Parts: sequence; structure tokens; C-alpha cells
Amino acid sequence: MRVILDTELCEANGQCEIMAPDLFRVQADNTVKYEANPDEDRRTEVEDAVEACPTRAIRIKS
Amino acid sequence: MATRSAPEEVPHFDLSNPEFSALADEVHAARDKAWFARSNYGVVALRHEQVGALLRDRRLRHGLYSWPELNGVTEGPLHHWWINNLNSQEGDDHRRYRRLLNPLFAPKSIERMAPGFQALTHELIDRFAPTGRCEFVSEFCEEFSARILLQLVGVGESSWRELQRMCGEFGISMGVNIAKELPRIEAALAELYEFTDELIAARRADPGEDAITGLVKTCDSGELTGDELRNMIVMLVFGGLDTTKNQMGIALDVFMRHPDQWDLLAERPELGGRAVEEVLRIEPTVLWISREALEDVEIEGLAIPQGTTVHLLTESASTDPLVGGDVPFDITAEHHPRHLAFGGGPHHCVGHYLARTDMREALPILAKRLRNPRADGPAEFRPWTGLGGPLSLPIAFDPGDAEGRA
Repeated sequence: MRVILDTELCEANGQCEIMAPDLFRVQADNTVKYEANPDEDRRTEVEDAVEACPTRAIRIKS
Repeated sequence: MATRSAPEEVPHFDLSNPEFSALADEVHAARDKAWFARSNYGVVALRHEQVGALLRDRRLRHGLYSWPELNGVTEGPLHHWWINNLNSQEGDDHRRYRRLLNPLFAPKSIERMAPGFQALTHELIDRFAPTGRCEFVSEFCEEFSARILLQLVGVGESSWRELQRMCGEFGISMGVNIAKELPRIEAALAELYEFTDELIAARRADPGEDAITGLVKTCDSGELTGDELRNMIVMLVFGGLDTTKNQMGIALDVFMRHPDQWDLLAERPELGGRAVEEVLRIEPTVLWISREALEDVEIEGLAIPQGTTVHLLTESASTDPLVGGDVPFDITAEHHPRHLAFGGGPHHCVGHYLARTDMREALPILAKRLRNPRADGPAEFRPWTGLGGPLSLPIAFDPGDAEGRA
């Protein structure tokens, strides 16, 4: 699975980190460090992060 | 740059003065001098950058947490509800609650409700349209906001008036009369629990594919206690009702001051989404958000000791010239960074997508069918402090059809 985060839209609210703390992490500089190619068995958590993002900055490519 | 002003240069507000307005020129003038002001309640943050940073900072908890205790309400049903609701949680419990609520507010499920929002908007307008006038708050906003919440939880919409009343009485808890009005507030809470218990029993007896059934199943599997489930449902009904009612009223009032933008919205309904953002930027109903320091925090040289509450003014932050916010109301514009009307960080409004979607659907229909809206008598407003908006908004208009033709 490929995850894409739009840094133009991201406002570092950290809802993705709430949904999947080991896949997304808000850094001190308000950027988000994330796992771009998580295992397929993590799909539900990534989908939760996609839905919870207030700026809709996260997408699943495949 | 005045980010490190000495205390004597920092403006001072009297937040307990009933005349204080979070939209006032004095607030904007203070913001242009420094990122914060002082007040009789403590530090007030005014600029987008610092308000955003304080909202995101996990060293601060939601500022409402201590509100009942600060007012001497230290036990009983209201206190119990309050400290167990979503906004009062941090860390693991907060994560668990947000994850459980996620399916209810997921964009995909909210979008499925959009045709219902349109139908409701037309239904309400149909009642008063032939007369060319209405009192917009009682004849539109109240029923619209309550029935949307009832649509969300999947309950018959005929009880909207009761729900509106209960939430109104329960909402007194957010204001300075919390201790004085405690019996009335707790009576409303008991009624809200009764409403919630009926809803839960109905879903248990006749499970559906909906998110409330999902929450009931989660509860039955032991991941959520029965007490947590009722608190959560009360929170989401209460949290969504007054805010939507106020913001819809504000929206019409704003557009009456910008008639060219109302005409544009009627012509280009696809601008509904941006119109919502623009109203939220210049006149959010949630004017004032607070955070409480869980440890000693320092922001740009300003010490915020543990236990201190900081106050964040959303309109001031969202119209901050430093982020290009000092521009006229324009529903074709897009702003980055966006307004902070829904707060931010871990406690960002969980229902933002619902609020955005119901207003996005309603506003273009209103623009087409309420042509040339204008004041039809004096409007009354809540104080522009915690939760702003009109209490009554009598308007006259030229009836238009669904295509906006007069």
C-alpha cells in the first residue's frame, strides 16, 4: 500500500498520529514523518487516518 | 516585530465585561502590536501562528476541563459528564474515543447525507417563502441544526424541538451561570441521557449498518463502557447543535452585508464549500477557545506556568495580516493556512466535516431562494465572547425559485 501526504494541505493537527501512532508522527517543526509503504494489514488504520485528517491531506494510492 | 514586548506594552482586555467583543477593533489593534494581550483571565493569544501552535501543543490540555471545578461544581452528574467527555480526555483515552467516533464523521458517510440536507433546506424554506419574510433563527436555524443531528444519529426528526430545548438548557453549563443554574442544567442532562438511552436500546433491539449501531456493538464487546457510550452521544448531539444553529445565522447576516457575494453564490452554487470557509474565517461562532498548561510551557519568551489557562481568539487569528487574513470577504478566495474556527491539534472539532457539509449544501439553496435578503426589524445577538451568533434575525426577501429566478 502506498500512502501520499500532501504537505501543502497538511496543518500538523496530528489526527493521523492519533489514529495510527506508529505510522504517522508530527515533528517539532510541524512536518509529519510517515510510513509511505505500510504493510497491507495496516490498511484499516491508514484509512482511519485518511478519514480523520481535518484538511484531507492524506491519500492511499493503491 | 513585537513578539517579545515588555509587559507594560502589552494590551489589556477586560474579558468579564459584558460589552467585550472578540470581533472588536481593539482586539485587531492589539493583535497588530503583539501576539498576545493580557486580561483579567490571563494571557489571550491573538495571532494565527501562536494560536495554532498552542492548539497543537500537547503540553496543554483542553481549557474547558477545569471549568466546572473553577466554578465550585466538583461532583454530581454534570461534573461526571464533563470530566468524562471527549474534550476532557488526553492520551490513550482520547485516542480510543476519537477512533471510535471516526466512522460517524467520516467524509464518505457524511457525503451520503448531503441529499437529505438539501431536502431539509427546501422543506424549511417552503414554509415561509411565499410570505417573503421570516425570523431566520427560529424559522430556519433551530430546526435545521436539530434535525441534522437527528439525521446523524438516525432518530425520528419530530423530536427536534425537544432536543433543541434540552441542548439550550444544558448549554448554560458553558457560561458563568453554571453553579447558579446547576439544577436546571442537570435536569436537562437527565433528559439528554434519557434520549440517549432510548436511542441505544432501539439500536440494540434493531441493529442497522449505521455508526451508532457500531458504537453500541463496541460497547457490548467491552471496548467502551455503557457510561462512556451515553456520555459520548450526549457530547456529539450537544456539541453539534448550537454551533450549527449559530453559524447558519451568522452566515446569513454576513451575506446580507455582502449582497454581491450572495448573488454570486446563487449563480455559482459550487462555491458553497468556499463560502462556508470564508464565513468561518471572518465570523466564527466559536470565538474563544482555551487551553490549560499541563506543565510549565514557554512560547516565544512568554512563560505559561503549569495550571494556567490561555485564551485563544479564533477570529483574530484567522484574520491575522501576517497570514494574509486582512482581506475582504470573498467566496472565490482560498486561504493557506486556513482559519482556526474548528480549533486545531488533538482537539480539532470532531464534527467539522458534518458542519462544513450541511452549510455547504444549505447556503447555495438559500442564496437562490432568498433573493435580496434584508433586515426586517432589529436583530438580537449573543454577546460576541464564547459562542457568538444571532438570537433573532428578522429578514425580508424576494422569493426566488430553485434556480434563483425571482
